[in-house]
Amino acid sequence: MPGYTLGPMRQGDDSQIFERLLQPHLDRLYRLAWRLAGEKAAAEDLFQELLVKVFGKLDQLVAIEEPGPWLGRVMYNLFIDERRRFARQRLHMVGEGALAGDGLAGLPGPDDPVAERGLAERRERLGDALERLSDEHRVVVLLHDAEGYKLNEIQDLMGTPVGTLKSRLHRARARLRELLEADGTFS
Amino acid sequence: MQDEHAYDGRGDAKDREILALLKDLPVPPAAAGFYDRALGRAVLEGRRRQRRRWIYSGFGAAVAAGLAAWVAIGLLWTVPNPGAPDAHIPGVTIALEQPRTVNLVFSSATPLDDASLTVTLPDGVELAGFPGQRVITWETSLKAGRNLLPLTLIAVSPAGGELLARLEHDRRDRSFRLHVAVSEDPPGAS
Repeated sequence: MPGYTLGPMRQGDDSQIFERLLQPHLDRLYRLAWRLAGEKAAAEDLFQELLVKVFGKLDQLVAIEEPGPWLGRVMYNLFIDERRRFARQRLHMVGEGALAGDGLAGLPGPDDPVAERGLAERRERLGDALERLSDEHRVVVLLHDAEGYKLNEIQDLMGTPVGTLKSRLHRARARLRELLEADGTFS
Repeated sequence: MQDEHAYDGRGDAKDREILALLKDLPVPPAAAGFYDRALGRAVLEGRRRQRRRWIYSGFGAAVAAGLAAWVAIGLLWTVPNPGAPDAHIPGVTIALEQPRTVNLVFSSATPLDDASLTVTLPDGVELAGFPGQRVITWETSLKAGRNLLPLTLIAVSPAGGELLARLEHDRRDRSFRLHVAVSEDPPGAS
């Protein structure tokens, strides 16, 4: 069949090999997709695209002793490629005016004042603040502070030196605090 | 880790609260069966991508495409593309959420290296493997004769519309339109 590159020893069972190699990493990859993409549909698309891409690199995957970091790096690169691809479209779709002011945080909240002050509200505001960070800052703070990745693991994933990551982490945290103080979450 | 508590060098109660919020920021679990479905789709789509390429000289290799619509495109470079509506736009009907392969056949009198093909999809119609993308571009080469490009379309809404395939080579281009209608009936019902 044209286009197939798998060797004769692997023909017929490539899907089982693929699933067996991927299975231990699926939860972590799904969480990573969610942290990168920020919402369910985009996270599922990113996760799916990763699996398709990795299936095409099965020979490479088989040869890797510890595939976790490699899989994360492939997903991160897919995420970055996708962001670049849609950068122009995003500019057309979201006018600057739509980003001014308080954004979603400025919209009327639920009638129940207790719920408004609850944990869900704080998470929502944190989510809004995270959205206002650059991709580089948001990804670092989410992977490090929310997911518990070590800086050297993030270095492997993003291909960015630890020193730069430390700086980004510091700035991202400072910006988060600034935004949350400004919107009254921490007054 | 030292940097976990170094918010802006202050590390006060607010910083700790932000850190706690971040640590508790939920990731909803994947839906039941999602991993299995995703793995299965990856295998199918991965295999399709491995096969996917221009298939030269005739239709033999595309027989396996099954439900396939054949759409021929003549490349007459000597005739400038006027951009005017075609007298006749060929059409294909696909069932909602059912993948269907449409084979675009490009006939070229001469080989074309370094050509670029851009497919623009109507709203609600996706190309398998490119979820959410309306415009997909490939770099490719054509041989003299008939060249086949199988596109697997999936309708995610019943709207349908026009698919535009634009082939560019050496500052010349040729556009081709295909009307994609979407049936909400199950496959085979129409």
